[in-house]
Amino acid sequence: MRLSGRFRSALIIGLQGIRSRKTRTLLSMVSLFLGVLAVVVVQAGASIAERAVLADLELYEGLDGTTVMEMGGSSPKIGTTVVDTVAGRDDAVAMTGMSAIIGEPGVRPVNEGASPFDGNSMYGGGPPMNCDNTGCYEIPASELAPQGQAIEVRLTALTGDVRKFRPYRPQSGEWLDFSSMPSLAPKLVLNREAAKGFEQYRVPAEMRIPGSTANLTPQIVGVVDDADPQPRAYVRMDELTHWVPVSKLVDPNYTEVRVLMVTPTPVEQVLTSKLKAIGVEPYVNVVNSREDQQEQLALMRMIFLAMAGLVLLIGVAGILNVGLATVGERVEEFALRRAVGTPRALLAGIVLAETLITGMLTAALAIAASAGALKVIVVVAGSSTPFLQGVVFPWDAGVAGVIAGLIAGVLGGLIPAIRAAGIPIATVMRA
Amino acid sequence: MTALIQLSGITKILKGQEQPRTILDGVSLDVHAGESLAIVGRSGSGKSTLLSILGLFDRPDQGSYLLDGTDISRLPERRAAKLRSSHYGFVFQRFFLLKHLTAAQNVAMALVNGQGWLPRRQRRAKVMAALEEVGIAHLAKNRPSRMSGGEQQRVAIARALVREPKILLADEPTGALDTETGALVIDALQSVTARGCSLILVTHDRDHAARMGRVVHLEAGVLTEQVAV
Repeated sequence: MRLSGRFRSALIIGLQGIRSRKTRTLLSMVSLFLGVLAVVVVQAGASIAERAVLADLELYEGLDGTTVMEMGGSSPKIGTTVVDTVAGRDDAVAMTGMSAIIGEPGVRPVNEGASPFDGNSMYGGGPPMNCDNTGCYEIPASELAPQGQAIEVRLTALTGDVRKFRPYRPQSGEWLDFSSMPSLAPKLVLNREAAKGFEQYRVPAEMRIPGSTANLTPQIVGVVDDADPQPRAYVRMDELTHWVPVSKLVDPNYTEVRVLMVTPTPVEQVLTSKLKAIGVEPYVNVVNSREDQQEQLALMRMIFLAMAGLVLLIGVAGILNVGLATVGERVEEFALRRAVGTPRALLAGIVLAETLITGMLTAALAIAASAGALKVIVVVAGSSTPFLQGVVFPWDAGVAGVIAGLIAGVLGGLIPAIRAAGIPIATVMRA
Repeated sequence: MTALIQLSGITKILKGQEQPRTILDGVSLDVHAGESLAIVGRSGSGKSTLLSILGLFDRPDQGSYLLDGTDISRLPERRAAKLRSSHYGFVFQRFFLLKHLTAAQNVAMALVNGQGWLPRRQRRAKVMAALEEVGIAHLAKNRPSRMSGGEQQRVAIARALVREPKILLADEPTGALDTETGALVIDALQSVTARGCSLILVTHDRDHAARMGRVVHLEAGVLTEQVAV
């Protein structure tokens, strides 16, 4: 009850003080606003960036703790060795990548080299090339097929459900069912970029794969988000091997064989031995990307927060300055309050309450301004910047703003509070 | 009957100068409940220092100060603050009203001092009763800038009375007022003795002093004369 009475008294008197010195409070808030805003913006930016970076990271790197074995070279035995070792196992999944063209036969695809449909030539763009053991060379224009209604995708064949290592986000339809009998018409799951191509171009359902015994008629069963900017399709390896010999599953132009395993598993040792036996050197690493990224992001966040802290300190200096000047002007008031029985602690509490209320009001304004600005940015630029789509103001930025306001209130009010508590009552006697 | 206040051999020495100066030199004084007492003397005679010690603003270097038989001359600040709130009321030469508050809020200031908590309704009732007692309840919502000197001093008296103190200490309360207004203020102050509150008035004005039940003279820190009026 006593504590509550003191708290209420400090609050009432503090609010009276703020109301009577509106201009000064406003000036304090102005000096503090930028500091709190800097803290809120840094925290919000870091949280949004972290969420965006980490969300996609697991899709293309894999979950932390996953052992990834990759292998180079163009040995025709790679595919057979990997599939023979991994097929049917729960603790490992093999992924082999190759090129596939879906659409009209005998034409060049609209996105040669499985480049993204927005024309980004980083992924397989440029003039058509042919590669063999002697090297790669440009195909003369006279030998090129005419461009037609066809789409090129990277086709990833899977020996099992890879989502336990890479949690692809379902977008529509369903994922591959590895428990059913393999179909003669291979089921495909597209990634978002490939789905975009199928939305933009009407192509016949005929799929060409280098080395296949015949053209295939695929069934598209779903779409996932795999964070890959290249158009890609996923297929059960056992459905593909109806038409493509296992030895041809490895693209000689662009070796893409990868085995994802739980850690530890005997598969790693067995497969390593087998690959070495056929002259292939595997590269093994354990995914630790999330932790690494988090460490880097935390470091960046700390650096920016330290800079924001410096700006906040300038605001604190502003509050401190105004607070000291105000206490100097209120010497008689504080002496009088002591004369009527107000304890020193409450006098200090009154000054602290004023600076804390100022700090909290400033924090509320800074948080509201940041949240409002983010909303405007999302509305204006969200449609053209996928990164911004669905972004909401992170709650931890709000908490950071409140903490910054509290710290500024305490730091800015502490010295004035101590001074106020030390004012002698005799001041009112000698006045 | 035991006196409410018993000062015995109170001495206060001003240090920190080349020659320490004795401000109060063995002052002894009894004040009974409901009694009115005037302390008169020249400037620098130690009147305000004596009032500071009486009001627990300051401590004596020697001597004892008994309140209701309890020695409070060496009270820690926290307990002194509590006692000031519960037993004492103060009126000063300058009114010390907070200009951003109304008359009622200025009076309520003595209730919102961290010594217990009164709900708003009770607080308002007490404030209005105190303003009524000094005859300015109709000015409750006025700010000091819209009141005369006499009205402001009466607000200050209401502030001193709102906690129903046992002792009212007034330091030159009419010093900033004209004679007529000063007399009205003295009337207001004196009326508190009717309900058993002791009034101790420090003044230069012999007319106002003469209206008190007792007058003491302070000269160079020594209480030289006690006159029953």
